[in-house]
Amino acid sequence: MSDAALRTPFPQRAGAALKDAFLQEALTIATTKFIDLRKEAFAGFPQGEALRDRARAIKEATLQHLHVHLERLADNVERLGGHVHWATTAEEAREMVLRICRDRGVRMAVKSKSMATEEIDLNEALEHAGVVPVETDLGEYIIQLAREKPSHIIAPAIHKTKGQVAELFSRELGGEFPADPEVLTAVARRALREKFLQADMGITGANFAVADTGTVVLVTNEGNGRMVTSLPRIHVALMGVEKVIPSMSDLVVFLAILARSATGQKLSSYTTLVRGPRRAGELEGPEEFHLILLDNGRSRQIASTLREALYCLRCGACLNVCPVYRQIGGHAYGYTYPGPIGILLTAMLKGNESVRDLAHASSLCGACKDVCPVRIDIPRMLVELREHLDREKIAPWTERVAFKTLGRLLRSPAAFRLSAAAARWLQKPFVREGRLRALPLVFGKWTRTRDLPPVAARTFRERWEELR
Amino acid sequence: MTGRAEFLERIRREVSKTPGLFGASPAPRPADPATAAETVRRELAERWPAALERFRIEFERVSGVFHRVPSLDAVPAVIGAIARERGALRAVTWDPAALGFDAAPALIRDGLEVVAARAGEEDEAARLRHRAQAAGAQLGVTGADFVLAETGTLILLSGSGRPGSTSLLPDVHVAVFGRDRLVETLEQVGVMLEALHVDPDRAMSGAMINFITGPSRTADIELTLTRGVHGPKEVHAVFVEAP
Repeated sequence: MSDAALRTPFPQRAGAALKDAFLQEALTIATTKFIDLRKEAFAGFPQGEALRDRARAIKEATLQHLHVHLERLADNVERLGGHVHWATTAEEAREMVLRICRDRGVRMAVKSKSMATEEIDLNEALEHAGVVPVETDLGEYIIQLAREKPSHIIAPAIHKTKGQVAELFSRELGGEFPADPEVLTAVARRALREKFLQADMGITGANFAVADTGTVVLVTNEGNGRMVTSLPRIHVALMGVEKVIPSMSDLVVFLAILARSATGQKLSSYTTLVRGPRRAGELEGPEEFHLILLDNGRSRQIASTLREALYCLRCGACLNVCPVYRQIGGHAYGYTYPGPIGILLTAMLKGNESVRDLAHASSLCGACKDVCPVRIDIPRMLVELREHLDREKIAPWTERVAFKTLGRLLRSPAAFRLSAAAARWLQKPFVREGRLRALPLVFGKWTRTRDLPPVAARTFRERWEELR
Repeated sequence: MTGRAEFLERIRREVSKTPGLFGASPAPRPADPATAAETVRRELAERWPAALERFRIEFERVSGVFHRVPSLDAVPAVIGAIARERGALRAVTWDPAALGFDAAPALIRDGLEVVAARAGEEDEAARLRHRAQAAGAQLGVTGADFVLAETGTLILLSGSGRPGSTSLLPDVHVAVFGRDRLVETLEQVGVMLEALHVDPDRAMSGAMINFITGPSRTADIELTLTRGVHGPKEVHAVFVEAP
């Protein structure tokens, strides 16, 4: 994603977000609402917990034979008359889409919200090649017109006010529109309806792909997923390899928990199952169907630290409960996938180097793990990631020295006692109102954003000696 | 560009590094899907009133409008009333053969312009004509292949004479169904889809299956719930009592 955003380091990006009063309010309202909706949905659904276990087991089992399921999926898609492409890298995936556009004379492509296409920066590539990409999810459409990036996986424009949207639509679409969500939605409906009917190509991601039947499954609330897959003459679906599941019996397990986790709905308004191009006798549907299977660093993790991140359904539940995300929002993370799971996905796709700072953008409170529909152990992987950063000497040297020293002190009782005594004496000038608020030198970076309790006058160990 | 063999080989290599690490298995598929589907249908033949009531509650919860009529003869009057209330002028419907009845004569008498999709038509001219008609209609009339009680969901298979756009492009969608279409749970839908997949007559009939749970909706502007962003603003379900 945007290199512009990444030119400023993470602490500054987070700092800017913290000073944005509207963003702060919008984040609080949105995340609180999503948390409540999710809680309510699972409260009235006693079988939900067992289904979450089952969904996790399906993901584990599928990864154990991923190559077999992918081959079966590809065979079935081809049997139905679709084309399958294998993209090892983001660049290959982009090139495949562009080649189809060139060969078929595509001038406009309508898109249904897809994180995978964001991941490979497809829109920029299409524009360069003279193909107009049109995002059709309302939130994505808004941020495309504003030339911004999504700030939440399922609510991409939560950082914008209705006033800003009204201004944007008035300027970009020509008109005088009031700051009324109902009116603005109707304006977008009219503008996008025209695009759906004109576009040569529809581009989607995939929430799931069923190997048994060669079916690509899309879940949307607006109906744009249906438009994009049925009106243009070509449909291209781009999916990460981890999205494949074996059967329809597996699919219904995921459907039962996905919308509940994301928006608290029992099912989203539309679940669309696409099985290849238009059949004989059908009046509509694309004449060509392409499925692009994207690796882009995923397979490397099957037997590695971030394996569990491959179970992710992209529901966004972990963003809503994360105390860090709730404060800084999606843009501050700087990459396609924000929030706790986003840190792991970024490490997976862009390498450990890219999350040098982000790996610490978590309090490890574990709320993300609790709400994850497939119970991904995000905190554990974040700790392992931090360990990697240290071992690979990606973390800054000050941090590495500090933790190494701390490790030594904690291992030796004598050193621990001695350092506690030393700290008690050294901290004296810095204790204010019973807290350590501003430490000198490199430690100042820590206390700039938080305070610490001072070392106690008598430590627990000393008191324990007396009590015994 | 990476070839299929090379791509799969890389994944196979990674997978082989974790032998027996996880004992998990996917959801069991029914051994004989056709029989399993038959069993579900038989059970529901008796339990349908409870399933229907549950569907009504869930469907209304997602802003659907539920109607109940004694027989097919009463359906056009319901559709006519919906059309009048909304000021609809043009309607598109599935092929009467796929629908199980012909709504056109009664609706035309009501002053509505009605176009039915015709099974078997599929040339370029027919496709363009059909698309223009569907895009210009305010009302779309379809059947439903499965009606899922647990979530208030209408499940429609596309195919010859049953285009998906009938339930997508018009502002109002009306689906007509009988008791034999009811299922209670998503799990049962899984069984039905497994059975569909192995049924040689139906597996290849259409490329799309749509689950429709209420009208098209969005909350993308300040989380304000708005209906009809791309698809229908209203969804009606008409239950026909006569078997």
